[in-house]
Amino acid sequence: MKLCVCIKQVPDIQAPFRIVDGRLQFDVERHVLNAYDASAVEGALQLVEQHGGTVEVVAIGPASVSETIRKALAMGAERAYHIEADPSGWDSATVATVLAAFFRDRSYDAIFTGKQAQDTDAGLTGTMLAERLGLPYVSNAVGLAYEDGRLIVTRQGDAGREIIELTLPGLVTISNDMNDPRIPSIRGIMQARRKPVEQLTLSDLGLSDDALRPQTRVTGYRPVPPRAPGRKLEGEPAEVVRELVRLLREEARVL
Amino acid sequence: MSTYLCYIPVQQERPTRAALEVLTHLRALAHRDGAQLAACVLHPEADRFVEALKPYGVNRVYLVKHPVLARHLNAPVLAALEAVFRAAQPALMALPSTEAVKDVLGALAARVGAAALPDVSAFDIGTSVTATRPVMAARVLADTETTVRPVLVSVRAGSYEARPAESPTEPDVVEVPFDFDTATLRATLREVVTGATGQVDLSEADIIVAAGRGVRDEAGKQLVEALARELGAAIGASRAAIEAGLFPASLQIGQTGKVVSPTLYIAVGISGAIQHIAGMAGSKVIVAINRDPDAPIFNIATYGIVGDLYQILPLLLEEIRRIKAES
Repeated sequence: MKLCVCIKQVPDIQAPFRIVDGRLQFDVERHVLNAYDASAVEGALQLVEQHGGTVEVVAIGPASVSETIRKALAMGAERAYHIEADPSGWDSATVATVLAAFFRDRSYDAIFTGKQAQDTDAGLTGTMLAERLGLPYVSNAVGLAYEDGRLIVTRQGDAGREIIELTLPGLVTISNDMNDPRIPSIRGIMQARRKPVEQLTLSDLGLSDDALRPQTRVTGYRPVPPRAPGRKLEGEPAEVVRELVRLLREEARVL
Repeated sequence: MSTYLCYIPVQQERPTRAALEVLTHLRALAHRDGAQLAACVLHPEADRFVEALKPYGVNRVYLVKHPVLARHLNAPVLAALEAVFRAAQPALMALPSTEAVKDVLGALAARVGAAALPDVSAFDIGTSVTATRPVMAARVLADTETTVRPVLVSVRAGSYEARPAESPTEPDVVEVPFDFDTATLRATLREVVTGATGQVDLSEADIIVAAGRGVRDEAGKQLVEALARELGAAIGASRAAIEAGLFPASLQIGQTGKVVSPTLYIAVGISGAIQHIAGMAGSKVIVAINRDPDAPIFNIATYGIVGDLYQILPLLLEEIRRIKAES
């Protein structure tokens, strides 16, 4: 099985930040592999460990993205492609356009992506890419198996877990609920240094500026309005509970 | 005249509340802009739902009827939404942000050449379509606008209130021709494994009792279930409670699970990790019960009780039963 995982480098969303003039400023510029993509890499690695094959990864971004690529290689991916570009101002549609150009002349049994990116929480790129490539897909996958040349994908749907047989080639967007991504071993980190990373440019992929025009743009960031400060009820448990029920009925009027 | 189109998923024999919320907002925009308000239903017997849409002031209802639409599968849903989109030619199509919608939104946008604004908490139509999007696990709001038309926008549950129009309408009903050859399917649905049955659906619930890591065992789970039963509430869970194996994954609330905004959210033994808060911060009233006085959930709770849930929940059950008996 030949698998390719699309990975994204994102700011560490847990890190402290400020909003200055509608722009996000992190106190420390710390970038990480998107957690959903890490689960996608892990899911791909587990499949090839069971059934044989190779895992490759592709990432878009400036030179600093190489750190995130090394992380995926250290986890166990064998080869990487780095599409050098400045994606600031791009939207999901732009990213899908670039990835579609990358995959057009390459052949994989399956393409994996994270189900969304931690910074934008948009969740569009994977299914946009599938559509551009004319591939069948399953999104929000929480389980993966390989049977008779097909992937058996479990996805979390509205009413329960949907178990879907996906013919290959196909695309799967992966939830972080599928697995806990492995921490690279020292050996993996050492090996990653010697693994091939092929650099590509947008013109290598035949992409003009016109094709990369985004369809949406962020005009500014705002803090989430704080909730009105709440109240901690303290005292003897039975009394506290009585007071809570009274407040829910008489003050909040929700019971 | 331009058309604003709303996709109406149906569940348990009626339009979902989340869809009616979006429809209500879209109606206000259509009235303001002199646009036609259209709705669409995909279902083997889609006609049955026209009646339920009349109070919402819809001018036209598009129906797609096919047996394959009985259960969610992305390829037929995508083809059906594409067919409606091409028939209605809307300036904007709004959809409630359900898992089924998330499954097709990007592909539909790519297929019909529309801009997509996913998972917004507010939107408006002007020279462009503008929207507020909670991002980074809902720690920040991103003001976002489109640069092309048409536009697809998916809306988080609870962003608007569902209200019938002042006067009902008698909509035109248009059945959209839909030939779908299931033999062409390259992804097929084997089965749907549902969690516990007979429970109130999370995304539609007015009251949710949600369990976290503090619910350690079967006894704790039973307390949560008893409280939910007493309140007619749906049960939710944090990722930690699901990983502990006490609750099915379909009940997960948070950045990667369901986004809910009930009238009352009772967080039982939930610490309040940002990923969880991302899924429930829109709740009207939040009650937190947690042993740890420093748990971040208390920062957003309307009412907080610092205490052991194994002690508090039985008392709470007793008190609710007592007031119910009185009234």
